[in-house]
Amino acid sequence: MLGSAELCFNVDHGYLEGLVRGCKAGLLTQQDYLNLVQCETLEDLKVHLQTTDYGNFLANQTNPLTVSKIDTEMRRKLCGEFEYFRNHSLEPLSTFFTYMTCGYMIDNVILLVSGALQKKSVRDLLGRCHPLGRFSEMEAVNIADTPSDLFHAVLVETPLAPFFQDCMSENTLDELNIEVLRNKLYKSYLEAFYNFCKDHGDVTAEIMCPILEFEADRRAFIITLNSFGTELSKDAREALYPTCGQLYPEGLRLLAQAEDFEQMKRVVDHYGVYKPLFEAVGDGSGGKSLEDVFYEHEVKMNVLAFTRQFHCGVFYAYTKLREQEMRNIVWIAECISQRHRTKINSYIPIP
Amino acid sequence: MSGKDRIEIFPSRMAQTIMKARLKGAQTGRNLLKKKSDALTLRFRQILKKIIETKMLMGEVMREAAFSLAEAKFTAGDFSTTVIQNVNKAQVKIRAKKDNVAGVTLPIFEHYHEGTDSYELTGLARGGEQLAKLKRNYAKAVELLVELASLQTSFVTLDEAIKITNRRVNAIEHELDEREREEFYRLKKIQEKKKILKEKTERELEKRKVAGEVTEPANLLAEEKDEDLLFE
Repeated sequence: MLGSAELCFNVDHGYLEGLVRGCKAGLLTQQDYLNLVQCETLEDLKVHLQTTDYGNFLANQTNPLTVSKIDTEMRRKLCGEFEYFRNHSLEPLSTFFTYMTCGYMIDNVILLVSGALQKKSVRDLLGRCHPLGRFSEMEAVNIADTPSDLFHAVLVETPLAPFFQDCMSENTLDELNIEVLRNKLYKSYLEAFYNFCKDHGDVTAEIMCPILEFEADRRAFIITLNSFGTELSKDAREALYPTCGQLYPEGLRLLAQAEDFEQMKRVVDHYGVYKPLFEAVGDGSGGKSLEDVFYEHEVKMNVLAFTRQFHCGVFYAYTKLREQEMRNIVWIAECISQRHRTKINSYIPIP
Repeated sequence: MSGKDRIEIFPSRMAQTIMKARLKGAQTGRNLLKKKSDALTLRFRQILKKIIETKMLMGEVMREAAFSLAEAKFTAGDFSTTVIQNVNKAQVKIRAKKDNVAGVTLPIFEHYHEGTDSYELTGLARGGEQLAKLKRNYAKAVELLVELASLQTSFVTLDEAIKITNRRVNAIEHELDEREREEFYRLKKIQEKKKILKEKTERELEKRKVAGEVTEPANLLAEEKDEDLLFE
């Protein structure tokens, strides 16, 4: 129904949307980045961050300040905000949030499963899980003795169950290479998320679907690029491509046949959106890599999400932008602490 | 000290010759040892130079590797857990070989790869390129470390060997000096004794001559006229 978004959205989600827009306004600006880049030590960095929205998040840290401490604290802050949003949300926004966390849950599950198969201590693994991907059955991992128990205990009860059904049955759990498994899960997840957004309709679909399509195509490109020269066969590679992007079906088929970067570029000639991205890739160590170009494009799309109102995409965009900001800060901090300032400006700025 | 192990010999000329021979032998031995010491010192200095070069290179390579780790983390996220989980067997192993320099065996470490790269597919979805660069950088660092390790063990072994050799050289020189002095002393003593003996015999001869019991034997050289010669 036309106009339904404007009418109904604010009833349930207006408070949260206002909140997230406020948080978005607190992201670091270009001026902040310039200040950070000029810092000489990590202590200076901390002082500069105190003037921004981060405030005194590092106040309780003992010396010496390391990059990993900064990273952990930033992640904890983001987690806190995310949990706040999630706890105050109603349907369908809460399902949306659940979908967002599935990505991190996949990483955590892979970590726990591979650790359990190698009989590693569960407590260490729990400490290393991504906080945004927490689920209540995580502690149940150490009770399971065999892979099938693991499967039943953990996976059947999490929202990841349908993704596992798509890609395998339980007896291939230990043989399948972990990375291939991870990518297969992610492909199913992405397609499910895409379908959810599409069914939701309205502005959410208008904003989220292009973003998710780009994510799908980006994964296809990167998987292709990184599988050159490895033992991943072409069919196995094709099975990992998410099908919800613009490249489906023709582009994906062509990509699966590609042998090197030039052939990939020729495939892209047919798609107007991606052609300029590939043109911008520099060669060797001087220019940008394909991944940098993709990150920039993602940031651009996420910022554009904020130009429309009354949709769930702002939360997704905000989380992604915060993550990019965290990566930027960690990068600058590493350059400062290693005194390797030549590439300190290689962060991705958020306009 | 040489005073303790003085060999008790009868101070005769034969004994002196024997001692001279031993002296010569000791001298040759000492020269050989000196040559060995020189060869070892030469190798030592070469190794030292190489160690300095390698250490400087090492600093650069480690810095580069640490930076590429930061780059990879930037693009690929946190893959440290994935890496630690998949550790099972060592891919780069070391073989120890022996090298011989002037009789001193030095260990040399050689690295070789075994097994396939179990991290081939890590970072498949993102950051694969940076991870590949990272793997290359750290592989280079490991190779350099192995080289440095063998250089340093050779350094230490050579150092010991050189010290021992030099100690021996010095000891022998000390011995040689002592023996030379002994020789002189013995020679002198022998000559004195001979002189005394000679004087004694001459005195006796004189006595007998005076006693008129012994005529001097015909002195062929003193005779002016030879009776056997028929023609003059």
